[in-house]
Formats: sequence, structure tokens, C-alpha cells
Amino acid sequence: MIITIYHYLSIGLLLFLIGLLGSVLVKNVIKILISIEIMLLGININFITFATFCDNTNFDGYIISLFYVGIGAVELAVALYLFYLMYQKKESDNIEKYSDL
Amino acid sequence: MINNPVIFYLASGLIIIFALLTLFAKNVVYSLLSSIVVFFLGALFFYVLGSEYNAIIQAAIYGFAVPILIGLSIMFGGQKNKNSDRNFISSYLPLLCGGIFILAFIYLIMMSLVIMPDTFNFAEISQVNAFDTLRTFARALFINYVWAFELISLLLTIIIAGIGILRVNKCNFLKRHRGGEE
Repeated sequence: MIITIYHYLSIGLLLFLIGLLGSVLVKNVIKILISIEIMLLGININFITFATFCDNTNFDGYIISLFYVGIGAVELAVALYLFYLMYQKKESDNIEKYSDL
Repeated sequence: MINNPVIFYLASGLIIIFALLTLFAKNVVYSLLSSIVVFFLGALFFYVLGSEYNAIIQAAIYGFAVPILIGLSIMFGGQKNKNSDRNFISSYLPLLCGGIFILAFIYLIMMSLVIMPDTFNFAEISQVNAFDTLRTFARALFINYVWAFELISLLLTIIIAGIGILRVNKCNFLKRHRGGEE
């Protein structure tokens, strides 16, 4: 039984779909942020997969995923700070109450 | 690259289960703990795929630093409206995700059993040692993608300065507001 590129791409797609559904349907802000991170993890798995299977010389996918990790962590930190500020104003973590910034 | 079906299927099953638990756990803290498992399993996937450096970065940042950030925000934010994310659609979502999961795994198992045509099988296993991988990383970061590296450094600096400015402005606003009330 050989694990091919399609197996890894399928896992990346599944993670992306789970994150997408979570970011659309869940109303808790923290869970939405975690869902976005899961979505980005699926994309990152695809980058690494293509770099491993299709690019044996430059490994550009590895570098792109490194940049993604840095940007994703900072994006999460900024989003959490904004959530903290909004929570102080709204006293709720429900996204429906954050209709105005 | 480690081509072991047992590791792959076990890790992929666990990562899907814990990703679903992250979404549908009632308590936010349980979601956070499940997400830690998901991020570590993601690092395991990177290691299996042959990218040890990315696996270490993923485990260090998403396995340790990001959960601490989220945990701090949960501590500061409290846990009101725990059940606010339950609605009609989300009650049927586990069934939908479970169906997708089962179909995907049936497809994966069938794909493993058949022989792929040569035109579609471009899975060439890369055989590089650790020194070559590090040299490739260094060359890409500091020669090929140095503009992106510098741009992201500039962006991160702007974000840090922006958060500081937001914080100072918020303190000034609160001082003026409290002074006006008195």
C-alpha cells in the first residue's frame, strides 16, 4: 500500500473544509479564529506536499509555508487583541453582537 | 519522507476527529486543547513528508505559542454564552462532516489498492540529507526570497508598532472618558 500525493492532498482538503465550515457556522469568536488556523493548516499541508512530491530541487513550498506560519501567528495575535478590545465593549463572545467596530 | 500507511491513516483519522471536536466542543477550553492536538498532528504530517524544519516551526509556534495566546484571551474574555453557537444547521453538521470523512477514506483506501497510471504518478520521493535541506532553506530565504523575507519583517514591525499605538490611544481615551465623568 503506497501513500501517494493524493492522500495528502485529500487530508489538506478535508482540513480546509472543516475550517471553512467552522468559520462560517460557529458563532464563538475564539472558535472562528481556531477554525481559520485549521484552514491555513490544510493549505500548508498542500504546500509541503507539492514541494515534497513535485519539486525536488528548490523546495519553494517549504519556504512559503514558513512565511505562512509567521504571518498566521501574527494575524492571530492581532485578531485576539481586537477580540479583547471588542469583548470589553460588548461583554460577549458571540460574533453576531460584533456588528459594528 | 516516511511512506508508512499505518502512520498516515492513524494520523489523518486523529487529525480529522480532533478538528471536528475543536468546532463542536461546548467549552472553549476543550476546543483549544483539541486544536493543540490538531496542530501537533499537522507537525507530524510535515515530518512524515520530509520537512523536519517546518515540523519544528509548526510545533513550536502552533503547538506552544499560539495556544498560550488563545488561552490568555479566554482567561481575559471569560466564558459567557457557551451554547450560543448551537443552531439548526450546526446540529446536522457532524453528520455532514462524518459523511465526507467516510467517503474520503473509502476513496483513499481504494486509491492505495489500485496501480496508478504512469502519467498521473508524479510522486518522486526526494532523497536529500539534512545538510542539503538546510542549505536549500538558507539559499531560498536569503537569496531567492530575500525580498519576501524583508517585506514580512517590515510588516511584523508595523503590526507591533500599530498594536502599541492602539494601546496608547485606548489608554488616553479611557483617561479622557473618566475625566469627563468626574
